Amino acid sequence: MIWKNPAALSEAGSGVLGIGDGSRLQVGVGRAMGHHGELLQGVFEGEDGRLLRGLVTLPLDRQQSLATFWPRDQGEIRARPPDRKKAARAAALTLAHLGFSRMAGDLTIESDIPVGHGYGSSTADVIATIQAVGSAAGVALRRSTICRLAITAEGASDAIAHHDQAVLFAHREGKIIEHFGGELPPLIVIGIQTDFSPVDTLTLPPAHYDHQEIEQFRVLRGLLYRAVRQQDPVLIGRVASMSAHISQRHLPKPRFDQVAQLANTYGACGVQVAHSGTLIGALFDADQRGIGTHIARFVRALERNSLHRITAFTVNVDGGILS
Amino acid sequence: MKIQRDFLTAYELPRPARLASNLYAACFPLMKLLPARYILERAKADGKLLRCGKVAETTSGTLGLALAMLSATEGFKLTLISATSLMDEPLMSRLRNLGTHIEIIEDPVGSGAQRERLTRLQAILEEQPDTFWPRQYDNPDNRLAYGKLAEWITRAFGQVDCLVGCVGSGGSLCGTGEFLRDLFPDLILIAVDTHHSVLFGHEPGPRLLRGLGNSLLPANLHHDLIDEVHWVGALPAFASTLQLYREHALFMGPTSGAATLVANWYARAHPDAKIVVILPDEGHRYQHTIHDRAWLAQQEGWPVRLPDAPVTLERITERSESEWTRFAWARMPRKTDRRDIDSS
Repeated sequence: MIWKNPAALSEAGSGVLGIGDGSRLQVGVGRAMGHHGELLQGVFEGEDGRLLRGLVTLPLDRQQSLATFWPRDQGEIRARPPDRKKAARAAALTLAHLGFSRMAGDLTIESDIPVGHGYGSSTADVIATIQAVGSAAGVALRRSTICRLAITAEGASDAIAHHDQAVLFAHREGKIIEHFGGELPPLIVIGIQTDFSPVDTLTLPPAHYDHQEIEQFRVLRGLLYRAVRQQDPVLIGRVASMSAHISQRHLPKPRFDQVAQLANTYGACGVQVAHSGTLIGALFDADQRGIGTHIARFVRALERNSLHRITAFTVNVDGGILS
Repeated sequence: MKIQRDFLTAYELPRPARLASNLYAACFPLMKLLPARYILERAKADGKLLRCGKVAETTSGTLGLALAMLSATEGFKLTLISATSLMDEPLMSRLRNLGTHIEIIEDPVGSGAQRERLTRLQAILEEQPDTFWPRQYDNPDNRLAYGKLAEWITRAFGQVDCLVGCVGSGGSLCGTGEFLRDLFPDLILIAVDTHHSVLFGHEPGPRLLRGLGNSLLPANLHHDLIDEVHWVGALPAFASTLQLYREHALFMGPTSGAATLVANWYARAHPDAKIVVILPDEGHRYQHTIHDRAWLAQQEGWPVRLPDAPVTLERITERSESEWTRFAWARMPRKTDRRDIDSS
């Protein structure tokens, strides 16, 4: 590798690959999934004892954002659709990170993740874009790097770059507060959209939690660790329900109590919400015998109560259980 | 500052011990570090306690030691008000070596002189209005401090069916219990008290077993959380403390013995339940009393045979220091006078 300018090494941070002419760049593709809100969101003590806002994402791998990046020698980053400005910014940041700061390109986003309900569409676009640019450079970026670039592009992120692992993620700092040491246990989620008007999730004021809630989050963090270690969906449900209840005091979702009660009646482990969105999800233990019957009854009960925007998806379930 | 914080942050958490197949103990070196730290940190954040500021409290127990340790590392000036009947020489020496100012109130009757101690504290607070008073009995931060214990329990054991703990201020049992019951509404909470403590309706009187019970009713005790109350006399508590050491090598204080006695009984009666018992402090302070056979031999009624089970009371009443009683409190609020209510 030839260095045109030795100073470029330090300027580009860890930009060790690029030589600025783009001869090493090819077309790159990246993919990221959306999510169905969070299992837990609140404030948590970091390693230094300070409190950090953090969350545990509930991944939704059926809905994805696909980013394709065609490198170009000059001009600027052009995004399609053109309103994906954060993704375009993420592409530029990733190029700079890899040492190709003079390069540009065309970025296409194809996503089936709905915007504005808490499905994490924007973050999925950004993560897919970062991976696409990395792939264009022939690099598999580290997850921590992807998160850091996403935070810079977007101001906040979620833990979707760590999609298959249960992590407590500081979404404003872009770093892991705690790795729970495994995947989430197998779950079936029945999602309900109770409000049809999208919200601008990034402009919502941050929740101001009181001291009792802050201590409750501590206990929920401990129980979530245990739930992941024991692969226990019932404990996951307890954590999510409690976090959702606390969230109701800050960003109330219409008809939450009714959905939570129905979920309880029909054998769900608990309910989760998109803490900055309009989604509620009922969590079922995918390994429980006869769970399909419970779920079918639950869905009929929702429909009887005029809750019609219903989706179903699985988390960490092997095989097509929902077919 | 950072290094000291790290040591006491680790020291304030318990270690786990398995006492039976379904019974786990949270063994604290000094549990009161949890509320002491939380209360001081909140006071600092709220501006009630300044850097190098003054702290005063009436305590003869382990909260005083915890406040003294944190005051030493954080630079606070601590005054503790105790009574001649309450302060043992080893503890006094430790407190002095930590830089604590101790005021001792004369107490010829041996009642603990709670009223006189509070009067002296009021005088200090009036003379020096920038002094912070932690108020462990009534300060709700005492209870909130036990989010850390509830986290430790959920992290180690997940869902728990029953929590057993001693009550003095109510902070540890009601704090931990409330956080856990938010998650597990069916959690059984068992309070361990001693005869002649007013917490659950006894008439006040001299108590040989210290570190639990109270002659005042603290606001941090939430009676409506409590399913069952046990009154353990000093002698069975001492015997259980020795047994804890003999069988599990757990060198703990006498309140740990009382709590273990109750928890073991509940665990035998409920083999399918998962039980956690809180053991609040270690035995070093009691090396020359409860852990000393010569001292024990001088106690009236010693040796005592450890009872297999408590006497279930129909009506709340005090018994002797060699007895162990229980009452189905059933989450009744504090105002109810249990003396007028028969157990169902």
